[in-house]
Formats: sequence, C-alpha cells, structure tokens
Amino acid sequence: MGTLEIGISGLRAAQIGLSTTGHNITNAATPGYHRQEITQSANTPLSTGAGFIGTGVNVEAIKRVYDEFLDRQVQTAQTQSSYLDAYSAQISQINNMVADPSAGLSPALQEFFQGVHDVAANPASVPSRQSMISSAEALVTRFHTLNQRFEEIRDGINSQVTASVSMINSYARQIAELNGRIVIAQAGSSGSPNDLLDQRDNLIAELNKEINVSVVKQSDGSYNVSMGKGQALVVGNLAYTLTAQPSLDDPSRIDVGYQSWGGQVSFIRQDSLDSGNLGGLLAFRNEALDAAQNALGRIAIGLAQTMNDQHRLGQDLNGDLGGSLFNVMGPGGTSGAFSVPSAKVVANVNNSDLTPAGSPAVTLSDVSKVTTSDYTLAYSAAGYTLTRLSDKTVMFANAALPQTTTDGLTIAAPTNAPANGDRWLIQPTRNGARDVGVAIQDTAKIAAAAPVLTNATFANTGTGKISAGSVNVNYLAAPLAGTVTLTYNATTNQFSRSPATSPVTVTLSNGSTTTYLAWMPVPYSEEGQTITFGGISFSITGQPANNDTFTISPNTNGVADNRNALLLVGLQTKNTLAGSTASYQSAFSQLVGSIGVQTRDINVTAQAQASLVAQSQQAQQSLSGVNLDEEAANLLRYQQAYQASGKMMQIASTLFDTLLGLGQ
Amino acid sequence: MRISTSTIYDLGVASIQQQTSAMVKTQQQIATGRRVLTPADDPVASARVLELSQSKALNQQYDVNTDSATSALGLEDVVLEGVTNLLLDVRTTVLSANNPLMNNTTLSGMATSLRGRYEELLGLANSADSNGQYMFSGFKGSTQSFTQIAPGNVAYNGDQGQRLIQITPTRQIAASDSGLDVFQQIRNGNGTFVTAAGATNTGTGLISEGSATTAFDGKSYQIVFTSATTYDINQVSPTTGAVIATPVSGATYTSGNSITVGGGELTITGAPVSGDKFTVKPSSNESLFTTLNNFIIALEKPTDPISPAAKAALMNDITTALSNLDNGLDRVLTVRASVGTRMQEIDAVKASGEDIGLQYEQTLSDLQDLDYAKAITDLTRQQVGLEAAQKSFLKIQELSLFNFI
Repeated sequence: MGTLEIGISGLRAAQIGLSTTGHNITNAATPGYHRQEITQSANTPLSTGAGFIGTGVNVEAIKRVYDEFLDRQVQTAQTQSSYLDAYSAQISQINNMVADPSAGLSPALQEFFQGVHDVAANPASVPSRQSMISSAEALVTRFHTLNQRFEEIRDGINSQVTASVSMINSYARQIAELNGRIVIAQAGSSGSPNDLLDQRDNLIAELNKEINVSVVKQSDGSYNVSMGKGQALVVGNLAYTLTAQPSLDDPSRIDVGYQSWGGQVSFIRQDSLDSGNLGGLLAFRNEALDAAQNALGRIAIGLAQTMNDQHRLGQDLNGDLGGSLFNVMGPGGTSGAFSVPSAKVVANVNNSDLTPAGSPAVTLSDVSKVTTSDYTLAYSAAGYTLTRLSDKTVMFANAALPQTTTDGLTIAAPTNAPANGDRWLIQPTRNGARDVGVAIQDTAKIAAAAPVLTNATFANTGTGKISAGSVNVNYLAAPLAGTVTLTYNATTNQFSRSPATSPVTVTLSNGSTTTYLAWMPVPYSEEGQTITFGGISFSITGQPANNDTFTISPNTNGVADNRNALLLVGLQTKNTLAGSTASYQSAFSQLVGSIGVQTRDINVTAQAQASLVAQSQQAQQSLSGVNLDEEAANLLRYQQAYQASGKMMQIASTLFDTLLGLGQ
Repeated sequence: MRISTSTIYDLGVASIQQQTSAMVKTQQQIATGRRVLTPADDPVASARVLELSQSKALNQQYDVNTDSATSALGLEDVVLEGVTNLLLDVRTTVLSANNPLMNNTTLSGMATSLRGRYEELLGLANSADSNGQYMFSGFKGSTQSFTQIAPGNVAYNGDQGQRLIQITPTRQIAASDSGLDVFQQIRNGNGTFVTAAGATNTGTGLISEGSATTAFDGKSYQIVFTSATTYDINQVSPTTGAVIATPVSGATYTSGNSITVGGGELTITGAPVSGDKFTVKPSSNESLFTTLNNFIIALEKPTDPISPAAKAALMNDITTALSNLDNGLDRVLTVRASVGTRMQEIDAVKASGEDIGLQYEQTLSDLQDLDYAKAITDLTRQQVGLEAAQKSFLKIQELSLFNFI
C-alpha cells in the first residue's frame, strides 16, 4: 500500500461522489425520487511498527435518504386528500347546477304558478289557459333537464370508477413486477437498488391516491400490498385484480369487485372503499348524488300528484270532472284517473324470477310522507324485510305483504312467489323528475271550476244564505246527478233534503261532528255550521224563513268559476311534502341548502387536507428532496477532493521520480 | 431546516395559485354583483334566497291580482252608478206622475219614456266585463245574465256564484256580484208586508205602505169595506185568496186612522166605498224589472177623462212603485257601497303589498348582493398580494449557487 493507492482510493470515492451528485441534480424534478448520498469510510489501516497507517478511503454504500415514516405520512394525507378532491369535484357539478338563480327549478316553478294564477284571474280566457299549459310544459322540461344532468353525472361516475379500477390494477401489476426485480437485484448485490425502490414507492404513492393501501415489507425486500379490509392486492410478484362491473342490486351502477385466484368475483362492500379517488367517487354517489336526485324526483312526484288530486276535484270547460294535470307514472304503473305514482323496483340479478311478475309492485300511496331515501326489500322464508337505506332503519321485518309503511309506500306481494334470499332495491323517487309530464294539451280541459253550485231560491223570504260549496275526494265516487234541495222547517228548526241518498255530517264551530242518516232531517244548530254529504261541503248563515229552500246542483256553464283554480294556486305555498313540512319551493330550497352545506364542508375539509398534504410533503422533501445549492456545494466538494487526490498522486509520482532520480 | 429545490417551486406556485383563485372569485362577484355565487358560498343564504324569491314572485302576483280585481270592481261600479242614476231618474218620473193635472196623453208619454228606461236597465244588467264575460251572471260568465220572457218577467240565467280573486296569501276578494242579488232579490213593500188596493175598487181610498215591523205575523189579509164607514179584516189563503178567517169584523173606518192588520200597521185615507178591497201580504222578492213594468202598466191604464177612482188607483200604484223603487235603490246602493269597500280594501292591500315587496327586495339584497366597496378593496388587496407573491418567487428562484460556478 502506498501513497498512490491512497490517492486512487480518493479519486474513486470523489468520482462516485460526483456521479451521485450528478444523479441527484438530474433527478431533482423526478417524482418520487429520494436524494442519494454516499457513505464513505477510511480503509482498514496498516499496522506497522510506527503504528497504524491509513490506507485511504472506501465508499461503503450509496444510500437513498429515505424515512419510511415521513413517506407513509405523505401517502396517508394524500389518500384522504384524493378522496376529498374527487368528492369535491363531483359535488361541485351539482352545486354549480343549482347555483344559477335563473337555471334552477325555482323560476320555472314560479312561472308555472303564475300561469295558474292567470287562469284563476281569468278562468274563461283561452290565452290564460294556454299560458298555464305552456308554463307547465316549461316546468316539466326543467325537471327533465335537471334530471338529465344528474344522469350525466351518474354515467360519469360509472366511467370514472371503471378508470380508477383499471389504474389500480395497472399499479398493482407494476408493483408486483418491481417486487420481482428488486428481489433479484438485492440477491445479487450487497447494495440496495435505490432507483427501483424509488419507483416502487412512487407507485405505492400513486396507488394510494386511488385507494388507501397498507404495505408490509417482506424480508426479501418485496412489498405485500393490501387494501380496504385486508384484501391482498400484491403478494410478492403476484398481483390480484379488481373489476368494475354492474352491481347485483342495481345493474345501472358500476361497483367494484375483487377477483380472487380462480377468477371468482366478489363485490367489495362500499364501506371498505372509503378513501382515495375511488372512495370519493363512490361516497359521492351514495351520499350526495342519490339523495339529490331523489329529492328532485320527490318534488316532481309531489307536485304532480298533489296538483292532480286537486285538479280532479274540479270541473273543466266541457263540464266534465278534471283529469290528471300531470303524468306521474313510473315504470310498471297502471294508468287511470285515480292512479298513484309507482316506485322504481330493481330486482337483484340473482333473484329467482326476473320477470315483472317476480317483483313486488310498490306505489307511493301517500306522497306527502315519501322520503328521499332508497330501500331494500329482502325475502326469506320468515317473510319480507324492508330496510330504509338512508339510516338503515328496518321498516318491517319478516312480515307478509302487502304492507303500507309510515313512509307512504304500499308494497304488494309479487305475483309469482319469490325464493329465499331474493332481494329488491326500491327507489321511490329516483325517476320522478324523469317521468313527470304534462297530461293535458286541450285548454278546455283545465278544471278551474268547482263541480257543484249552491243557490238560495229566489222566492225565499228569510235571510238565509248558503256558501259556495266545495268538494273533497269522496265526491268523485258519486258525482251529483241532479239538484238536491234543502227545505227549512221553522217549527222544528231543521232542514229536510230531497233527494236524500247519503248520510249527512254536520260540523259545528267547536269542531264537533254529528252524522245523520240519509232520511233524517238536519238540525240548524248554529249559524255557519258546515253541512257535508256525498263529499260536498257548504255552510248556511242567516235566518231562513219557513219553507225557504236552498239548492245544491251540478255546476253548468260555470266558465267564469275559478274556485278550483284558486285551490290549485293555494298549493304553491301549502306544505304538501316531507311529512307536510315543506312546500314545493321549500323542498327545493332544502335540496339546494343541503348540497351547499355538503359542498362547503367538503371544500373546507379538502382545503385543510391539502395543506396537510403540503406540510407532510415539505417534511418529506426537507429530508429526501434534492436541494440544488447543496448539490452544487457537493459538486465543488467532490471536485476538490478529486483534484486533491490527483494532486496527491502527482506528488506520489514526484516522490517516486525522486527515488528513481537517486540512481541516475 | 433543509429546503428542497422543488419545495421552493411548489410553494411559490401554490401561493400564486391561491392568490389568483381568490382574485378570480372576487372578480366574479364584482362582475355578477352577487356575494353568493354558488350555494356552497353560503348555504343558508342560498336556501333563504330561493324561498324569498318565491315570496317576492307571489307578492308581485298579488299585485297583478289586485289590479284585475280593481278593474273588475271599477267596471261594476260604473254600471251600478248607471243603474243608480237610472233609478233616481225613474223615481223623479214617478213623483211627477203624482200630479192632479195629468191626463192620458202625458201619462202615456211618461210610460213610453219609462219603457225606454226599462230597456236601458236590462242592457245595464247584461253588461259584459273587459274579457267579454257577463258581469252579473255569477259563474256562468258566457251566459247572458238576464233574458226577457214577457214584459216585466225577466229571467235570471246566471247563478249565485261570486268570482273571487286572491289578493293576499289569506284573502280572496269577491270581484263580482250575482245579478240575482243586485236586480232581483229585492223585498217589496216595506220589507215585512206589502199593501195594495183591489183592482176593482170604485172608491177613492188610498192605502199607505205601512211601517215595517217584526210584529207582523206573516199571513195574508184582505181589508174589505162593508160600507163607506165599516170594514172587515179577512185572513185569506196566499195562493187562492179564499177567506180562511175573519179576525176583525165591522170595524169603524175613519180616514187617516191607523189600522192594525196581523200585527202590521197601515193607514187608509180617502173615501172607499162598500165592496172596495185592500190586500196586505208578506213581502216577497220582486225584481226591478217587475217594479218598473208594473208602474208602466199603471201609467197606461187611465183613459181621459180620468175618473176619481182611476186617479186613486194610480195614486196607490205610485205608492207601491215608490216604495219598491226605494227598496231597489237601497239594494243597488248597498251593493255599490260593498264594491267601494272592497276597492278600498284592495287599495290598502296594494299599498301594503308594495311595502312588503320593498322589504323582500331589501332582504334579498342583504342576503345575496355584493358590498362593492368591500369587494373592490378586497380585489386591490389581493392584487397586491399576488404581485408580491410573483415578485418574491422570481427573486428566490434567481438565487442559485450554480450562478457562481
């Protein structure tokens, strides 16, 4: 060992240092790159009589500056951030959609009721009637447009889930492949294949953006990667596959399946996929999109049904009872004047009978109570069980059908007997906004009038007055065929009826009601008492004289009658939805408010999470990132070390020359 | 602490982006004039804005409704004013007929002129509103309100419906009145009973209309003079006129003294003769057309020279006509007063509706409109911030050791 050797070791070390620095500089912007540094140590000294003489320097290792904890922190923060970003990007679409004051539902709703008001003010005017129909068309179109937008977002989710799943699969394959290469590389060398490790860690980070994974490092240097509730994605150099395929419950939505060896696919529960981009997409669909689309559907169904119910109690210009103003039929519903909307029922693809006869018919028997949730109905030998999905409430368990729930649904048993384990997804309001339509085109068919007319007879000598009558739904069963006459008997203070065909109910101002049989005379107990028979209600005030008569007759030629139109107008502000707590407008405001709150929450959280990501990235970069100034200094340092070593070799050479010169 | 070079770039870009997005948002707010751009900006305010915009739209609708109510009632008031003037005019004519110098020619001239007024009244009663709907037909707007079957016998073809207009969330105001109410359902006589002289009377007895009283028992009576100074009071059947009972018999007649019939009081003056009859019946409803026509017939009856008995008959008819005309006038004026009250209410509602509208505007503006002063200050501040971020970033990235080697 000599000085020359020492110089050479110095040169070699400086050269390695220079290439490592150069490698760092060139990879300063490479994603996932960890800066590398060399560890050098003094060679084993030579023992001489004079003591130990140094023998130069040796580069022990080129290691990457890597802290597993810091890297893991970035990944954890990142997976949550991706979740929030995906959620935020999706919900912002709805947020922007309902944001525009002129594009939401509100203006269309208001214009429609303006049309109804117009008819109420000018019941006989054909232009007013036409404007009501046109504004109803515009309202329906607005429902369709908004729903279409929801459907587009839904389709978008499906394709994004598919894309995300294929990215996860691709990352898993690449990680498996790198595992193999790293194991081989490490087996053949004492050093670590830093750049392969960087690549693999970067893939783990990218995978984490899609879905949260956990990594277990094996003794041979390979990573075992698992996701969710422990499903293995990568084991050694083998990768498992996720699939994106239609859900069994609802083939219109793409869910994520896990393919085990042997090719068998099982669906992954939604709650195991609660992070990363994929988790964000699925959570948005479950929490926000379904609820928003259902809420819109509920307004459409509620509006159509309640307006129809009132419209049917009216009389049109032709003198006929009103028909439906809107179409509210869902798929599979039956039509008819007394129809109620039917819910969308989706049979699980594994059900024993996939024909319509194998599924229960579900109707919205009381639209005022309908919620925005979806439901699952399951059949077992013990009976049917209905679960509300929004809060997992069991509405009824192991019961026989038909059932009417407190949520206003009536579920009839399927025509064909189901098999044990059959399941159905019930979406009462999902297609409400899609299916709503305007049922009448003929202006004469708007039922602005009431079907009955009350009159005090001309020859009456008393001061008795009869109020304009109103009708309720019972009237439709037996519409008035001819005039009913009430005759007052002053001696008994009673009214007799002719013809008297149905029982009479008298309601007093204190709310007490008494029912009299058809043949019984009706006492005039107090002024203003409400008299009801056959679905017709009216009140009598004043003091009739003996033999004074009042008539209740079918309304004929009542073209200027706007009584029913006024009742239709009244529905605009009436709380008809959500358990009679919300009007159409306030139901929409609630939808907008809840979308707003969700978007805001998600955005605020996403921002906080983004700064968390930034912080952990800074911490990680602070350790592992390349600082060019530092590298420049290193360049100088190794350059000088190189030069110095060279100089030393030159001196050694000179020394050697001196030695050689001694002999000359 | 080590700072990696990429961190310097990342941080620099991030802060510039942050400033830019804040500035763009402020710019959008300024461009739209709205503080709340999407519901996420202020969920509570956005939901409130939607609710308020409906309330505001409804309030505007009520304003439109008050206008149509005012116009309908205004039109009705004009027609009723015409009816009032017509009736006052007729009343003057009736009074002028009560003149001893009248002869057949003047009376029949009067009758002709009243026939014209009668047609005019029928025309007014069949008035149409601005939409071409008959004003007094109730709900049967396209059915002509009144048709004449025979002179004095006019049928009402409408019904008793009142067209209502919603003028506030809770108030529906009647924008029409039934023709039956205005023109036909009018009590005749004094309101409780009606008096008349027999058509075959030969004396000159004049019967007063009597004064309304609740004491009247509601039965039909006939006062029959058995001589020039005595009379019987018979209760008769309201339909056939057959005598049922004779509560008073052989009472002494003194001209101008009060006579009590079935609880009602009236006077007979002049010189009735034996066999003259006067009837007292409960009041019934008589249309204005009947009243007018009856009087026209009475005017056409006397022939020259006018006998004292015919003159007395005319005088009795004038009494009847006057009392019935006054009843009709009362009715029309009552309806007019009710129309006026309704118009007043509408005016009040309209004024308060305008105030409420202003309040909605104010609240809406508070909820969603932008405070421009603040926004522009913000914009300037953000601009300064952005420039600072950009400049400082440039300065920092210029620093590199490589510049010196």
